[in-house]
Amino acid sequence: MGVALREILVDYKVSIPWETLGGIAAIDAHNALYQFLSIIRQPDGTPLMDSRGRVTSHLSGILFRTANFIEKGIRPVFVFDGKPPDFKEETIEQRRAARKEADERWRQALERGDVEEAYKQARSSSKIDDEVIKTSKSLLRLMGLPYVDAPSEGEAQAAYMVREGEAQYVVSQDYDTLLFGAPVLVRNLTVSGKRRMRGRTLTVSPEKLVLPDILKGLSITRQDLIRLAILVGTDFNPGVRGIGAKTALKIIRKGDFVRLAEEKMPGTDIEKILNFFENPPVTNDYSLKWDPPDEDAILGMLCDDFDFSPERVRKSLEGLKVTGRQKTLDSWF
Amino acid sequence: MMLKATIDADILKESIDAISALVTECRLHTDETGMSTRAVDTANVAMISLSLKKEAFESFESTKNELGMDIAKMKNIFGMMGKDDLIILELPDDGHKLKVSFEGYRYSITLLDPNTIRKDPNPPNIDLPGKVVLSGSELNNAIKAASVVSDKIALGIDPASSLFYMSAEGDTDHIRREFGKNEVNYINSSEARSLFSLDYLKDMGKVMNKAEEVEVSLGIDHPAKFSFYIAGGNGHVEYLLAPRIEAD
Repeated sequence: MGVALREILVDYKVSIPWETLGGIAAIDAHNALYQFLSIIRQPDGTPLMDSRGRVTSHLSGILFRTANFIEKGIRPVFVFDGKPPDFKEETIEQRRAARKEADERWRQALERGDVEEAYKQARSSSKIDDEVIKTSKSLLRLMGLPYVDAPSEGEAQAAYMVREGEAQYVVSQDYDTLLFGAPVLVRNLTVSGKRRMRGRTLTVSPEKLVLPDILKGLSITRQDLIRLAILVGTDFNPGVRGIGAKTALKIIRKGDFVRLAEEKMPGTDIEKILNFFENPPVTNDYSLKWDPPDEDAILGMLCDDFDFSPERVRKSLEGLKVTGRQKTLDSWF
Repeated sequence: MMLKATIDADILKESIDAISALVTECRLHTDETGMSTRAVDTANVAMISLSLKKEAFESFESTKNELGMDIAKMKNIFGMMGKDDLIILELPDDGHKLKVSFEGYRYSITLLDPNTIRKDPNPPNIDLPGKVVLSGSELNNAIKAASVVSDKIALGIDPASSLFYMSAEGDTDHIRREFGKNEVNYINSSEARSLFSLDYLKDMGKVMNKAEEVEVSLGIDHPAKFSFYIAGGNGHVEYLLAPRIEAD
């Protein structure tokens, strides 16, 4: 999901060491949970489950990945989606259908004993339901971590928080955050060091994208970037078939957007989408406070209720208490 | 000609390795006395200052220039040189392309626009009272040993017993290496202790490994400075590394 801008952003990805990520990170919760649910699976694609068959991949991700963040000096705040704009209906419906189809193919692959295909299809069948959201929030509360309920899209709210200086960067795999005006986007934090892609395992490390650098480098405005994304296709419109990011960039630079949009996307309300990316609903109604974790309650929830191994949970609780931070040389210049 | 120099492959490689431990590009300054660069890594955590005197070269003539060097590219190119090759570097007056010749190969390397590279940082003015001088390979060995158990290491001086220590705490394991007075070339009795990321130190350690002696300057929760000679004493490198803070 997200918008396919990779092609034109490759040059603006800066790989950065974990040590330098200290600070407040606004995490696109929906995106992170999706990563956890799709990646944290057994080799045949079955998600982690407790003895009653309830999925626990997301809880595992929240606890272990977040403990790792905190150990690295990152102060995470999860930003959850609110009500999607009504014009997202179509996308949501398509995703639902795609998930269902993947779910079916996963079962078939399992029956055939095709483990690799099963893993692939299972990943695509991941879905974030109310139970996932509810249990995620409960765990975050017990861990003493703040979360924010966005009025609409979580990534828009996260971008807003960074623009306001309340957080240092947005954490998401999706480039949409940049369209929403996030000055700094950090990718590859919620995925583990190793990542399966098209059947291969790749090692991934954190990478940073800085919006002003991108706009300056491509010599376009943020509005141009949004228009470009609309041509390629966003969460709110399918885009124009056959137009990728590079072609779209050329079109924008030539000033051909309006003509092309009228011709190829007659049914799309461009202004509405543009306006939504530029001025999405956001809120100031949140407070960022980090409390010490309630260890007994976490052990109670994860081990007694969801069958986690107490030993592993205890170990990551140690991580939650560490606050090592890398200083920069700025303090001495 | 803005620059014409002949240099031993080993010395050039050593210099590029020292820079590439921290940055992928830098501004290289040249004048009639030699070359120098100072650069901070993208995260602002570590800095390198490197200078090569004209005596480090077989021959050296230069006007005052600023060259934008793609260090990552240089490292790849010079990776294929033999140890004892002589390398000729030439920058013509219209110079955006550096000509490099060795062993019959002739490269023409496009330089970066220096304006696109981060400005040279000012030399920071830091008071680091703790000093110890020891062999680069001893230092590197301790760094390597520590990185087996942890991702950070404490460097310190215990003034009472005039000990230099390096200690690393992992999740389950601990390692400590103490250097007594007789194991180091020099140590003063100024209390010091700071914690550092091994991610950075490992890369620096590989470079320092070759230095006969490295002067380490330390404070309390302060950066560490590692300074040592290269090119048989005709070049000098200084690394500065910001500390990690142990706990809030």
